[in-house]
Amino acid sequence: MPGIAGRYFDGVTAGDHRVDVVLDEAGGRLVFDGPTFDDGPVFWQLGRLRALRDQARDASLTLTLHADSDDEAPRDAARLTISEPGTIARLQTICPDLHKRDVHKGLYRKLAARGAMAVAAVVLMLFVILPRMADTLATLIPVEREIALGKTVVAQMEQALGAADMGALNCQNPQGRAALTVMLDRLTDRQNLQYELEVQVFDHEMVNAFAAPGGQVVVLRGLLDNASGPDAVAAVLAHEIGHVEERDATRHALRAAGSAGLLSMVLGDVTGGAIAVFLGERLLQAGYTREAETRADRFALNMLNAAEVDSAGMARFFDHLQALEGDMPQLPEYFATHPASEARADRARANANRQGATAPVLTDAQWQALQGICG
Amino acid sequence: MSIGASDSNMLDAHYAGDRGPLFKLAVVTAMLTIVTLGIYRFWAKTRIRKYIWSSVNGGQDAFEYTGTGIEKFLGFLMAIVILAIYLGIVQMILFYFGLTLFTAPETPQQALTQMFAFYITVLAVLPLIFFAQYRARRYKMARTRWRGVRFGMEKGAWGYALRALGHWIATLATFGILLPWQTFRLEKYMTDRTWYGDAQFRQDGKWTALFGAARHIYLAMATLLAGGLAGIVAQSDVVAALAGVVGVIWFMVGIVSYRVNAFRYLTAYKILDGRIGFAAQPETVNVVSTLILGGLMVMLISALVFAGLSAAWFVVMTPAALMGEGAVFVAGLVAAVLYVLALAMSGSLALVWVIQPVIGHVVGTVTVHNSDALGEIRQRAHDSGADAEGFADALDVGGAI
Repeated sequence: MPGIAGRYFDGVTAGDHRVDVVLDEAGGRLVFDGPTFDDGPVFWQLGRLRALRDQARDASLTLTLHADSDDEAPRDAARLTISEPGTIARLQTICPDLHKRDVHKGLYRKLAARGAMAVAAVVLMLFVILPRMADTLATLIPVEREIALGKTVVAQMEQALGAADMGALNCQNPQGRAALTVMLDRLTDRQNLQYELEVQVFDHEMVNAFAAPGGQVVVLRGLLDNASGPDAVAAVLAHEIGHVEERDATRHALRAAGSAGLLSMVLGDVTGGAIAVFLGERLLQAGYTREAETRADRFALNMLNAAEVDSAGMARFFDHLQALEGDMPQLPEYFATHPASEARADRARANANRQGATAPVLTDAQWQALQGICG
Repeated sequence: MSIGASDSNMLDAHYAGDRGPLFKLAVVTAMLTIVTLGIYRFWAKTRIRKYIWSSVNGGQDAFEYTGTGIEKFLGFLMAIVILAIYLGIVQMILFYFGLTLFTAPETPQQALTQMFAFYITVLAVLPLIFFAQYRARRYKMARTRWRGVRFGMEKGAWGYALRALGHWIATLATFGILLPWQTFRLEKYMTDRTWYGDAQFRQDGKWTALFGAARHIYLAMATLLAGGLAGIVAQSDVVAALAGVVGVIWFMVGIVSYRVNAFRYLTAYKILDGRIGFAAQPETVNVVSTLILGGLMVMLISALVFAGLSAAWFVVMTPAALMGEGAVFVAGLVAAVLYVLALAMSGSLALVWVIQPVIGHVVGTVTVHNSDALGEIRQRAHDSGADAEGFADALDVGGAI
């Protein structure tokens, strides 16, 4: 019976065999033989036939057999390539399993086990080991190194805010500085702080303040402009001092160093992967920071109570923040790095109701001097 | 060029892939990757490799890529366990020691160098990247077959990582002058450990022969240096800027020229089984023009698609806004899907307009000498591949395909 031409590799040597292929439908097999075969024709059962997938040459079909091998896929090593369109079409119709993907036994169990291990390792690192390590390392780091790091961070921040030279944004009005010192002395009097505070005011309209490692605190001018009074500024300062005392900035830098690489590794180079990494990072940091913010708020209230400063100023400040946030689309709370302003305002108000006698933290003249510190 | 084994005991290679089918495959797999939050990327890479490998023909026989997506995924999961522990801890400890070296900055420049010191933590990953590169090549070799016979590579990833580190230090310390040494020794390390069936490859030749290939890199560097000096001496920004532009373009072309010519030399001095030789004649002009024209094509098509999308966005959003919030939401969703499709497309465009044509050109110039001896080569044992390139996937090394 005349067959069609085929090219066969037996999977044992790289030698090629020109073969004559016959499709024996009645016998349910493919039969082929060639001049280079020593042991007579080869029989391939149609049910075990498999075609290679995603191949570039669509005019020919390369066949192999399903077999229990320990290869990457359960396939025989032999290959048979045919190009005759009629036979290819016929095989496509009569072999239902021609394009089947077979997998080794026990694959899904292996997949589940490996998957569970990978997830466990990442979760353990992100939520248990890295935070613990960051906490420990943050307390081990020498204070003078922390101060050096803090100065670098502040210098970077100043540059990011648009300073051409170092210290260009630093507001130095003497009366303003004096008023700031009065406020700080009032807050830190009777407190036993581990860090020597260095508070600067930067000439920038943003309503914000931040604590860098090693006792560095920066207040932006926009906060002084928008604060309802000196008590509110004192509350913000007390909050930032809380971060300083808890070494929050150092701790977060350490945590970020450990977790950033890990996250981008897991998510890979997916299209738009940078966004995913950003969101993941944000989600992770939010958990850490909200906790730290709540702690700093508590610290601030205690500090205000000790200094006999009215915490109603703090409540008014959060009310103001909430009004600002109201104009912007809100992130869900688990994405936000700060607790909801409303709840923070309520806590400050409740504290104000319990407070004993209080006195304004600055005189009107001092407050005006502080507001003019950048003038 | 003739196809197939000729009488003269030689074999020509040629590339048979097309733009259309590969583009379709790339877009479909990229979409699946996005939909599955990145998990499908292992299957995507595998399927694209299957297509490209099967486009490469030695004589009339196509190469075959036998890797599977699932084994790559399994390997990735294993690598994640090891890397999560290693990277998390090492990065943090290095960062900590980086901190203890800190001093208070006095100038902005000093502050900048200190911030740079932060990124030194990347060093923790460097040996792993070289390790992963070798493992990735070994995996790809182990999953490549031709005429039914497997390629393969011996173990040696740590040895490679150590050598690569040393060579990179030498190359950087000599401002690139020792690049040929690095290229040759590292390629020799890998080639000498590569097998086709039971036949071993060997890299012959001398590393000093690659200096010629690197001449354009050196000349470009000399231009940059001379331009900078001339600019200072003549107090002329124009001279310095001109030399800068010429030097940078020359440098980039020089890198391509180096890679092309080094590939020619290294291929000509590769020997299989002590008796089968190779030759490759890729042209720098061809590769550079493909990079430029193909790159322009990708930009042009992407720009048209994104412009069309933004136009469609306005056309759809205006009536949707009149119909109320629900309609706006649906329109936004449709726009997001189209945007993702466009993103998937632009990556695929680079594959079919730049990467595939370069591969096609290089493959088309390869010939094998004494190819009759290939028929006597016998099969080699299966290599389990251990991490199946998982380290390379996790660390994002390994390039386009």
